[in-house]
Amino acid sequence: MSYEELDHTADVRLRVRSPSLNSLFEETALAMMNIVYGVSRPGTAEKTLELEAGNTENLLLDFLSEVLFLSEVEYLVFSSATVQIAGNSLRAVLAGESFDPERHRGGTEIKGISYSGLKIVKEDEEYVLDILFDV
Amino acid sequence: MLERVTRLGEYEWEVPAGTVPGMRVPGRFFLSDSLYRSLESGAVQQLANVATMPGIIRYSMGMPDIHWGYGFPIGGVAAFERDTGVISPGGVGFDINCGVRLLSTPLTIGDLDHRRELIETLYQSVPTGVGAKGPVKLSLGDLEDMMVKGAAWPVNQGYGLQKDIEYCEERGCMAQAESQSVSAKAKQRGMPQSGTLGAGNHFLEIQVVKEIYDPDAARAYGIHPGQICIMIHCGSRGLGHQTCTDHLKVLEGATKRYGIVLPDRQLACAPLSSPEGKAYFGAMAASANYAWANRQMIMHTTRTVFEKMYRIDYESMHLVYDVAHNVAKMEEHSHEGKRVEVCVHRKGATRAFGPGSPDLPPAYAKTGQPVIIPGSMGSSSYLLRGTTTAMERTFGSTCHGAGRILSRSAAKKTISGAKVKNSLSKEGIIVRAPNDGAIAEEAPGAYKPSAEVVRIVDALGISNLVARLEPLGVIKG
Repeated sequence: MSYEELDHTADVRLRVRSPSLNSLFEETALAMMNIVYGVSRPGTAEKTLELEAGNTENLLLDFLSEVLFLSEVEYLVFSSATVQIAGNSLRAVLAGESFDPERHRGGTEIKGISYSGLKIVKEDEEYVLDILFDV
Repeated sequence: MLERVTRLGEYEWEVPAGTVPGMRVPGRFFLSDSLYRSLESGAVQQLANVATMPGIIRYSMGMPDIHWGYGFPIGGVAAFERDTGVISPGGVGFDINCGVRLLSTPLTIGDLDHRRELIETLYQSVPTGVGAKGPVKLSLGDLEDMMVKGAAWPVNQGYGLQKDIEYCEERGCMAQAESQSVSAKAKQRGMPQSGTLGAGNHFLEIQVVKEIYDPDAARAYGIHPGQICIMIHCGSRGLGHQTCTDHLKVLEGATKRYGIVLPDRQLACAPLSSPEGKAYFGAMAASANYAWANRQMIMHTTRTVFEKMYRIDYESMHLVYDVAHNVAKMEEHSHEGKRVEVCVHRKGATRAFGPGSPDLPPAYAKTGQPVIIPGSMGSSSYLLRGTTTAMERTFGSTCHGAGRILSRSAAKKTISGAKVKNSLSKEGIIVRAPNDGAIAEEAPGAYKPSAEVVRIVDALGISNLVARLEPLGVIKG
């Protein structure tokens, strides 16, 4: 995955780079799954999401919060995400496997996605995101 | 940012108004020389940011465990005037009413045989870590009731003693709770998780009382040398996390509507008197009540394990006290010679009410409120008492823990969980966690020394040392 962990004393701060906004959203959602559950396998469980927000950053916040919510209440660990953004709306298909306490307890709980320091910028041919998760 | 800081005294530092544009009051924080060396510029920036919020009075304050968080710094305390002030989830955090309770037992260190079996039994009995489900299946009606009644709900269901309620901050229940302001999503997350410890820095630790600093206060709190105690640290689980997420979104819109300009989006807020502010307050209070119920249920499970293993009476294990360290509360404090009603935000800070304060159980009226400061894994924890000085200087507040100095990723890179486990084991401390990564992240070396943090609050007088407790075994999420 093309993300790096930036320094932060208390929480998890990531920098994610990706060639498109769609893939930026996809990779950030999967990075989040990796932090919470560790390594996961592909699976057949599937969830579809449709969202709208006032701007791209809020769309990302809402999307990630929704992924976290779905994963927790449906006991699913997503290993793939397909995101299509059109303007300020989004459609996503998430796929993965059921939570297995034997294999998915290698990570740490994300309590929330912070607005602090959140930024998405376009640098040359790629989008760069800085984001902080409260863990 | 750090170059703007001026020193006012041995342990007191100021961030002058003007350090960031729009500061309404200065920032003040409390650190020793040695702790100042590990202060991050980000924490000072956040302390200054808080000072720009409407209705803040006196100072934006940082306790000695101050460090870089999001929104408020961790260790941040700020009071907002009732009529002109705001409420913000950035001053509470995602884990609403994350807190600590201390349970005393009639056992002493010599009685505690089969320690490894005890830790394993607790680990099997208290659901921990990611994806854990609670021992009790709650209906939606039960959950609604729990959010209104707090710690009293499990007690009334048989998970505790009536007197436990009296020994919780706020009697384990904020009366302003409005379960209708908690979203269906938050409730869905909360229903299966009641009675679960969670992950990260949450833990349940078996401790022994090693040193008494204040015999009279220790006697009032029922604490004596060699005694076995249990410390429980956890919060409001997915219900609180979702409540923060939901209301941040609403409050971000409200911030704009009320014309409030903020340097950090995470400080999104609304006037205390506004519908949005009231809705967040009601939902936050409901989540806080859920957290008190949660710790009560975990304590019940713990008592049951001890009752069976050591053949002691359930009723002989006393709740010393339960404190919240991520919460906003309406309180009355003295300010510029008058009594004022304020909304005190404590984000990684503990209430430390002094002798004679309201909300203390009669047995503690002369001593002041117990303040429970957990150490990092494998290091000392402390019991302190609230003071009149805290009432005068910090809106009745003190530190909440050791405070991190090493990021989680740096800790994982430089510290081996397996090695930490082994070295703690050599010291007689048993650690049980789902994975070694969780141990490395929370290793003692990742935190400020808790002894130094409590030394400063004691020297400042914003709480005074009563006892030191050392770990014997810990279960982590």
